[in-house]
Amino acid sequence: MTARGRLAWLDITAVIAVVGALVFAMVSPRVESQGDSARMLFIHVPTIWLAYLAFAVTFVASIAFLVTRKLKWDLVAGSSAEIGVVFTTVAIIGGMIWGKATWNVYWTWDARLTLTAVMLFVYIGYLALRRAIPDPVARARRSSVLGILGLVQLIPVHFSVTWWRTLHQTNTFRPRDIQMDGPILAALLVSVAAFTLVYAALLRRRYQLAEMELEAHRAAAAAEGPVAGDAVSAPTIGST
Amino acid sequence: MRRYWKFLIPAFVILGILVVLLVNLSSNLVYFHTPTELNTEVTPSTERLRLGGQVVAGSVEEDRESLILTVTDGRESLLVQHDGVVPQLFAEGQGVIVEGVWDGTTFHSDTMLIRHDEQYRTEDNVIYDSDEHQLEES
Repeated sequence: MTARGRLAWLDITAVIAVVGALVFAMVSPRVESQGDSARMLFIHVPTIWLAYLAFAVTFVASIAFLVTRKLKWDLVAGSSAEIGVVFTTVAIIGGMIWGKATWNVYWTWDARLTLTAVMLFVYIGYLALRRAIPDPVARARRSSVLGILGLVQLIPVHFSVTWWRTLHQTNTFRPRDIQMDGPILAALLVSVAAFTLVYAALLRRRYQLAEMELEAHRAAAAAEGPVAGDAVSAPTIGST
Repeated sequence: MRRYWKFLIPAFVILGILVVLLVNLSSNLVYFHTPTELNTEVTPSTERLRLGGQVVAGSVEEDRESLILTVTDGRESLLVQHDGVVPQLFAEGQGVIVEGVWDGTTFHSDTMLIRHDEQYRTEDNVIYDSDEHQLEES
């Protein structure tokens, strides 16, 4: 077994954990006054949590790149942002399905929904920026700036429901005052833990792929190298 | 490292402008008005507004095509005449947001949204048993 395949247990554990968490979510007590549509909670909350986590990792890795100048940190930043974009999309789609069942609309332009959409597009922009720069070092330098600044918007996204009057409900998890009954909370925490494992597994795989992409890029550059070098031979001006 | 400041300083300036904009926008970011605001601050007009509050228990009645209800924010309440689809989760005591026109006495709405609160409570505060669907009043 190669070094890259050895940690497949993480992938397997993550899949088993998510299946287990979803079973737990289906047998957990019904939420009063909402019915079964409230079970979307067990997808919606963990996925947006992962989006926050993923973008926070991008932020930290971007700083780490600027400090250490090691390209591996840039690979972590890019990989994590990619996963964050996927989970933000899942959270929005799940929220829309729940919204239709509960609010009676899929989408509306309240502060929380609008800012979450803006966050998604900023990170899609971050990924587009990375794609636009072929040179790994230049890409790392430029995208790390956006990777750091991008995190700031998470504050208004998260507190939008407190700062402004929105259709979206306010935060259930307040310090020392959780507006959720024990059995539902237990199922939610299991789900959050399981999805976090999925994030770890995906990040590891995506990072390995990014490493391979970098190797391939370097190999291609090295193959071109001698040809480009041959064309410019140092001029010789006699010997003195 | 010094070249980065060329990048970072304008970026932080732009960010600062964004923050200022957001703070100023906050007065416009009100998704709905409360009954108190409509009664005291908002002058009746033909402008479309959103009104949000709780459905007063015992206030709901059906009048031909429309639904008559009273919406409250705990301080003041407002009479709403709703002609339109009534969402599944509509109930007395439920948070609702209605869209329509405020004429000074009645709010004429054609769109109703349910505003769910942030509480996730079990139906009877005990473990749910899928074989027993009856609800117990607690």
